[in-house]
Amino acid sequence: MAGRGKLIAVIGDEDTCTGFLLGGVGELNKNRKPNFLVVEKDTSITEIEETFKSFLARDDIGIILINQFIAEMIRHAIDAHMQSIPAVLEIPSKEHPYDASKDSILRRAKGMFSAEDFR
Amino acid sequence: MLTDVTEEMGVEMNEASQRLDECLLRFMDQLELLEEKRERLNSLIEQGWFSISKARYSMGNKQVSTLQYGSEIEPRVQINVRVLENGEAEFDTQRVERLRSEDLEKDPRQVEDIGPKDEGVRRRGVTKEEDPKDQSVAPRAYVSKETSPPSRELPQHQDPLKWFGILVPQSLKQAQVSFKKVIELSAEVATLQSTVLATRKELQVLMGNKHEKTPPRHTDRQTDTRCINGGQTDEESTSDS
Repeated sequence: MAGRGKLIAVIGDEDTCTGFLLGGVGELNKNRKPNFLVVEKDTSITEIEETFKSFLARDDIGIILINQFIAEMIRHAIDAHMQSIPAVLEIPSKEHPYDASKDSILRRAKGMFSAEDFR
Repeated sequence: MLTDVTEEMGVEMNEASQRLDECLLRFMDQLELLEEKRERLNSLIEQGWFSISKARYSMGNKQVSTLQYGSEIEPRVQINVRVLENGEAEFDTQRVERLRSEDLEKDPRQVEDIGPKDEGVRRRGVTKEEDPKDQSVAPRAYVSKETSPPSRELPQHQDPLKWFGILVPQSLKQAQVSFKKVIELSAEVATLQSTVLATRKELQVLMGNKHEKTPPRHTDRQTDTRCINGGQTDEESTSDS
């Protein structure tokens, strides 16, 4: 995959998606499949999870940006993802500030200092 | 003989401990840097939202929403990913406009020579048969074609800002600038996250190695304490009292 660059996918609320699309990350591919999902009040958790998994399966996505409050809804799916590509980045949302103690990566790093590791 | 073996083991233990300490310090530095970058990322996102809200206030509630997204969306930024030997991934952003201009610089002959030459010959042939009045028009057309940029090298690549109108407020432009910075920073954060996880793995391996080399003294101490407590563990003794 040295020739063509990868994309940044976004799962977030309206303002987050609008902002990142303004920044130029958006793409509608040949099959009219977007690399972003605007989560609204009526968006189901199943839909979010399926979209997240579809982004994981796509080989043209390098980073997945996801609002932390949405990541909380599909925490099991995020924790199950152990590969380095695509990288999953949890970002804050307007109503929910970023909480480092909830972040999957930092929790994994913290796990380093659990009693299990010192046995 | 026995002292030699114990000395060797002691040296190995020291080396392992030193390596572990170095790795742990590196790990801490990386975590600190990650936190720093995270803070910057979060404040930039907040800045972006604030600008979007200001734009929404001046343009109207429905003017800055998902309904305004273009029907054709093309990425203007791409991520270059490089996987290192230890499984670490490096992410680097690259703007697509820059890529296109680099392509043009690499192959400038296509733009300068071929297009205008063909066009010029064709025009000369046509003007021979036409009236002398039209001759004055032909060179003008030739000149205009020569100065206009070739359309096939630069396909229509719309700026997302134009989804929201031609004359957008300054605040929306500021939001775009903020989010462009966020995108660059998010690639850096992703790289750091990957580095942190790789260092964590390394730490685990080093810790395992060190534990293998340490003599099993820990279990002896446990049995000793049990003997002192009269066959009871600490928890049991406290619960009884």
